[in-house]
Parts: sequence; C-alpha cells; structure tokens
Amino acid sequence: MGQGGRDQRQIQSGQGLIDARPATWRLGSNNQTGPGPPFGAGRDRGFMAENSVHVQIAALRKIYQTRREEIEAIHNVDMAVSEGEFVSILGPSGCGKSTLLMAVGGLLPISGGSIEIDRDAVTGPRRDTGVVFQSPVLMPWRTIEKNVLFPIESLGLRVADYRDGAAALLEMTGLGGFAHNFPSELSGGMQQRVAICRALIHNPTLLLMDEPFSALDAITRDAMNQELLRIWQEFQKTVLFVTHSIREAVFLSDRVFVMSPRPAVISKIVEIDLPRPRTLEIEETPEFNVYVAELRKAIEG
Amino acid sequence: MARADENSIPAQIATQAVNLAPATVISIAILVLWQVIVVVLKIPEAILPTPTRIFGVMVERRELLLQHTWPTALQCIYGFLLAVAVGVGLGIAIAFSRLFRTGVYPLVIAFQVVPKVALAPLFIVWFGLGTTSRILLAFVIAFFPMVVNTFAGIQSTDPVMIRMARSFSASRWTIFSKIEFPTALPYIFSGLKIGITFAVIGIIVAEFVTAQEGLGYLIVFSEGNVDTPMLMAAIFVLSVVGVILYALIVLLEKLVIRWDVGQKL
Repeated sequence: MGQGGRDQRQIQSGQGLIDARPATWRLGSNNQTGPGPPFGAGRDRGFMAENSVHVQIAALRKIYQTRREEIEAIHNVDMAVSEGEFVSILGPSGCGKSTLLMAVGGLLPISGGSIEIDRDAVTGPRRDTGVVFQSPVLMPWRTIEKNVLFPIESLGLRVADYRDGAAALLEMTGLGGFAHNFPSELSGGMQQRVAICRALIHNPTLLLMDEPFSALDAITRDAMNQELLRIWQEFQKTVLFVTHSIREAVFLSDRVFVMSPRPAVISKIVEIDLPRPRTLEIEETPEFNVYVAELRKAIEG
Repeated sequence: MARADENSIPAQIATQAVNLAPATVISIAILVLWQVIVVVLKIPEAILPTPTRIFGVMVERRELLLQHTWPTALQCIYGFLLAVAVGVGLGIAIAFSRLFRTGVYPLVIAFQVVPKVALAPLFIVWFGLGTTSRILLAFVIAFFPMVVNTFAGIQSTDPVMIRMARSFSASRWTIFSKIEFPTALPYIFSGLKIGITFAVIGIIVAEFVTAQEGLGYLIVFSEGNVDTPMLMAAIFVLSVVGVILYALIVLLEKLVIRWDVGQKL
C-alpha cells in the first residue's frame, strides 16, 4: 500500500475519535455482557477509538422462498463489530454464516432487521468493503497484477494511481515476482493470496472473508492464517471471517460468534483473550485448547 | 500458459509444423498411390485424372482459377462477417433479454431444422443471381453456431465471479465486458471455426445454383464439359481457400486467447 493509503487510514481513525457515536448499542443476542474492548493483550492499537462500532447488525432475518416453503436462513441475529476488530463467525455447513456475510457485503437482500456499516444502512455493495470468497475467483485471462487491479477499474478509479499499491501488496504476500503471470501458473494458496490482495487494493476498512482457506491443505492453511494476521496487523482493518474450523477461529479472532442452524441464530459469543502477535506455537498452549473445547461444546449444543 | 518464449507465435508455428509432419507424409503417400493406381489401371482421365495432371492444370490455367477464386473467397468472408455480427449480437441479446430468450431463441432453433441449402432458389427469386443471394446464403448457414455458442459462452460464466465483481460495485456493463464476454470468447471462437466452414459451403452451393462466377461455378461448368482435371483442380483450390480461412481464425484465436481456458479459478 502506498503512502497515500496510510494517510487516509489515519484520517479515518482520527474521525473515529471525534465522531460522536451513540454510547449505547444493541448487544450481541446473548451470552455477551457488553461489547467491551475486544483486543487481546500485547496488541498496540495506537490512538484508534477502541469501542467505535464499525458493523452493527440488528434483528437480522433472511428468508429464502422456495417453491413449497419458506426457509429461514438467518433467524434473528444481533451483532456489533468494533473498528479494527477480528471477528469470526463459526458454525457448521449450512448454518447461514455465509449468507450473513454476503448480506453484510450488500450482495444479498435481507428480509428483516438492519445492517449498518459506520452507521449507514447497507443497501448494496459498498466501496469501503473488500470481499474474499471461498474460491479465489480470479479471471484466468488477466495477469496477477490486472486481477489485483480489477476493483480499481470496477470502482471507476484511476488504475495508474494504484499500480504501486498492487506491487506493494504482491510483494508483501510473497508474490512480487508473479505480477505478470497468469493465475493458472500459481498454486491454490498463491491464488487465494492474490484474492486477498485484490480485496485490499482499494483500501477498504472492512474485510469480509467467506471461508477463504477451506479449499487449501492444512499446511498451506496454517501459513495463510499467519499471513492473514500479519496483514491485519499491518493494515488495521476490521475483519469479519466466516469459518467452520474451530482452531482457525480461535487462532485468528478477537471474538468468535458461534452460529447454529435451525434456528439460525448466534448461540454463543466467545472472547479470545490470547496475546498477539500470535504464532502457530500458541495452538499448543492450554489456554488455546480451553477456547477450542469451549467452542466445540457450544457448536455441539 | 508458460513462459513467453514457449508461447510466442513463431514457436507455436514451429510446434505445429512438427505436429503436422505425420499427416504430411501420409498425404504424400496417398498421392503417390493414387498416381500409381491410375497409371497402372489405365483409368480414363474423365473418371479420375492423376494428381500430376491436376497440378499441371492448376499451373497452366492458374489465371482462370484465380479469377474464380477471388469472388468465392471474398464472398465467404463477407457472408462470414455478416454472420459474426448478427450471430454474436443475437447470442448476446438472447443471454441478456428475457424477450429474446423466450421469443427469438426458439425461432432460431426451429429455423436451424430447415436445410438452408433449400433456400438458395428462394434467395434467387428474392435477391436475383448476384452476390447478394450468395452472401446471404453463406450468412444463414454460418450464423447459427455463432448464436448458440455466444449464448452458451455467456451462460457458462461462474456466478461467483459475477458476485465477486458486484462486491466491487461493478456496473452491469463492467460485468459483461470484463467477465462475461471474456468467458464467452473461447466458445465464440469455436462458433467462428464452425461458421467459417459453413460459410464456404453456403457460397459454393449458391455458386452452383446462380452459375455466374466463382469456384462453385467453375466446378459445375467443368463438369458440363467433362473436364474432370479442371473440376478437381477447382475442388483443390477451394479446399486451400477453406483451410486458409480456417487457419486465419485459429491464428486470431491464438492471438486473443492467451490464457489456459480449461482452468477454473
């Protein structure tokens, strides 16, 4: 990311301080006594406003109409995500967690309730979000660099202004030498890294990730998780991360929202108070495994 | 897709040349065998001339052959280009408009059942014996694969890729021009390759019927004169025209589609 991106980010953080946000907000549906400072020890958040709400979901409902019946994909979800927070939505397949994420991204209409980003109701895709999907969905006819720059074209910005940013992102994710290769020449993990660069190129404040590493092998996945934390630490984005892996959720998150199917509700919110920066060794600690056990119990109901 | 040097056009042509070597050897063997059989069995020239005789005619009467080659080749190209414009346009319209999909597409498919060659006499009634009739016949034969392939290509777009584009606020035009159209391109090129061979058929049939000019005309004219060497020379030249037109499309395809088409990302 170029110098310009950094300046802009600081201005946004500054506004967060001045901005008079309401002192009260809807809490998570249950289990949660308050949104609290969600950041683990050892993580320096600078002067960022720690408890300004970035994403606010209230009484969200999503109903799919099939020919015979109505299927309630999301029953009644409340959620508040603070600026710069890393939040995972954990649940089994088909529990509606991806639906929830796509709704936050403005990619699916909602049936009831509300989603607000920076206190602004989500009515469609926004310019300040970046989405990473389960598959990299790179355009095979574009080089890596041009894939990363696609959002710039799509948003009607000047591509020339973002070339350096794309190069820096690729360099940061270890893809510096691949700018002019085609996606088919890259491994699955590398392709997904390209997708992350693409989601960051326009400097969004909110990153939405829909099981981005679920198609990767376990070793690549561990590496990608560490890399994601490094990127998050560097760019200070708010991340909403959907996963069905308990360990992944614990490793990455400040807070984990457990989502259960039928009814599709948030059944538990667990604050992960583990020191940052985190490395893979943390997975061996008793604290880590206590969280894993707690979440497994929550999922099994 | 590999490094540029392996992928450059001269390198590809070199690879093609190596690939074509066995076919070339077999072709020469067949020609030799043909020559031997005709000479040994003393087959009359009016039934089957020798390859050397046919090539002799091609050299001796090259001016007459060329004079009839140009109109055929040009009309193939005109008919083909018309089919590309209308076929690809209609394919896009069918992909995006419910009205076209429900109202026009079934008619296009129903029309495909009609043997187009049977329309040649009708076209003469309507448009006369001139080039218009011939180009239109090439067009009606060639346009169907373009419509179907363009439509199928656009439909094959990965819905997740469209969702990805929408997540970055892509307009409908951006989604079409930057995602759906490139996705459809390999399909469209398949349509072009089928279409160009169909266009040649259309022109030749039209030339049979209109009997004004062109290689098709030369073929029926030579047949009337029992000039079989000329007839076969005209067929050979016609084949060369067909191969060149096809090769031009393949070349264009190689220039345009430089990515690995089989890969889904």
